[in-house]
Amino acid sequence: MWSRTATIAAIASTFAVAPASRAQPTVAIDERLAATAHLGIGDRVVLASEPGVRGDTFVVAAITRRGADPSEVVSNGYRVRLHLGDLQRLLGAGDKVSRFAIVSTDRARTVAAINEVALGFRAYPSAEIAVRTSKTFRVLRRFHAAIGVITIVASAIFLLCILALKIDERRRDIAALRLMGISRTSVITMVVCEAALISLVGTALGALVGWVGSIVINWHYQGVYQTPLVFSLITPGILAFATALSIVLGLGAGLVAARRLARRPPLALLGR
Amino acid sequence: MLRRLAFASLTRRRARSLLAVMGVAVSGALLLDMVMLAGGMRDSFRKLLLVRGFQLRIAPKGTLPFDTQATIGQASEIIATLRTNPDIVAISPILGLKLRVPNRNVTTVAIGLDGDVQADYELLSGRPVGGTDRIVANQAFADATHSRLGDTLVVALGYDTPRRRLVIAGIGRFFYTAAGEAVVAVPLATLQATGGSATADRVSLFMARARDGVDPDVVRQWIEQRIPRISAISTGTALKQFDQRMGYFRQLAVILGSISLGVGFLLVTTLVTVSVNERVGEIAVMRAIGVSRQHVVEQIVLEGVALALAGTVLGMGLGLITARAFNAILSDFPGLPAAFQFFVFRPRDAYAAMSMLAAAGALAGIYPAWRAASLPVADTLHGEAIA
Repeated sequence: MWSRTATIAAIASTFAVAPASRAQPTVAIDERLAATAHLGIGDRVVLASEPGVRGDTFVVAAITRRGADPSEVVSNGYRVRLHLGDLQRLLGAGDKVSRFAIVSTDRARTVAAINEVALGFRAYPSAEIAVRTSKTFRVLRRFHAAIGVITIVASAIFLLCILALKIDERRRDIAALRLMGISRTSVITMVVCEAALISLVGTALGALVGWVGSIVINWHYQGVYQTPLVFSLITPGILAFATALSIVLGLGAGLVAARRLARRPPLALLGR
Repeated sequence: MLRRLAFASLTRRRARSLLAVMGVAVSGALLLDMVMLAGGMRDSFRKLLLVRGFQLRIAPKGTLPFDTQATIGQASEIIATLRTNPDIVAISPILGLKLRVPNRNVTTVAIGLDGDVQADYELLSGRPVGGTDRIVANQAFADATHSRLGDTLVVALGYDTPRRRLVIAGIGRFFYTAAGEAVVAVPLATLQATGGSATADRVSLFMARARDGVDPDVVRQWIEQRIPRISAISTGTALKQFDQRMGYFRQLAVILGSISLGVGFLLVTTLVTVSVNERVGEIAVMRAIGVSRQHVVEQIVLEGVALALAGTVLGMGLGLITARAFNAILSDFPGLPAAFQFFVFRPRDAYAAMSMLAAAGALAGIYPAWRAASLPVADTLHGEAIA
């Protein structure tokens, strides 16, 4: 039996593991609590509404796993599910409930009908509740997007700088090609293609690093927050955006540098 | 002479140097932001906790203040016990509830407190909480209920509980309330009575202040030993919990800060290396006419440091602007007090970011400098002549 005192969020609901019985009331506990308190199915636990108060004994009938719920990610609390009557009795809450969940064939009409006659409560569609409870993640998403913009600017400058240097380094090759009679257009096309290829290979390598990073991030944070929630996701859209951005930057840098070099006389490029 | 040579070398290819400075500036801005995020967030939380000098929070066993709806019963008994310790100089009991203002169709956070020892708000106008019906509201509450100083409002806890009249005696700024959240401070006894038997002699938490010179952790241990049904939390413990919950931001700061530093370092290294490769003949001539190796190394390292410093100075300004934008985004973070800031500028953060980037610039110049200084003078001159 777990003797440590802790405050646990209790949820009253009907769960289908074992029927409630006055002789042996049952509870479902979450797997974090089971792991921390070394509890298993069939163990007995004493639950009380607050420390120092004589509680009731329950039998652990089920162990539950957290769903991928963003609103629960930063919460370190444990969860215990009791039969409604048991929790009402434990808290001395009489016939009170916190909320009802309703399945309806016509959601809008049901919500409107309830709110028209309700006194002291209000009906919300599930989608509205989802929006309200995921505000943390909406804020984080905006924050990540802002950081993403800065990162993209930094990588764009880095890419431009590297490609410009790379092309500048080839001034002697370009001079030799021009002296051999290769046209300016061919030289520019060659340099631009080379820049695009470097960008493409770089993007492929970057995507690989990003994919490994994504696996590490998910593994780390799923472990830290004990949730199946996916923290980092590489979608085809993100991949396409990164590829397009790096190719456009590569082409741009290649074109600017190649035109600058191709305009200069070949001997000047050789330093003569 | 050294500086002039380094400057001439950097301005020879202006576009390239400018691009590198811009790259370092963006990296520097991100680095400064991440240094501000890593330390400032914790600092801001610490300041919030100690805003009125209360170093201890006492919450229901196993919980953090206002983390659950749990309350502490027999509050007056606990206050009496705490008063037996001469090291505790002030105790502020607090009860948090949701109150309705039926006539205005508004639900507000109500904080029941003792007006004489409260640490939840600062009074902006009017009078403090007192008597049985004098309350202090924040501007968001006044706006939501269209009420002013001196107005009387009818409030109730639920739909089936007795109603009570309260007078807005003051307007205040609450330290622990989220931006735009309506909140009122109510005399503790009045709020307890409004909740009926469910809240009689109950509080959500106590704040306690230890005497100057006394270790709050010693007082915390004494409290937990004397009152086993509560958890006493010192500022240090609260900061540890904070680190645990907001650890994500610190990790993000460390990762992105390291990447920024790495990008800045790579950029300067690449640029200086290419610049040295282009100038091997020039460096060989300098060596041939008697310029020392040390002089060549110093000049090239100076080029790296100059690039990094120019980028860093630009980056500091850019970093402060982006930090404000980031703070504005994160101010919507649910459940955090409006006074809490994620990015806090501290001069030592700016020095740390500048020093790291300058050191990265110096390090970035070392490899190309070493290569340049160890060039075989005759072979290089011969190779250059053939080329």
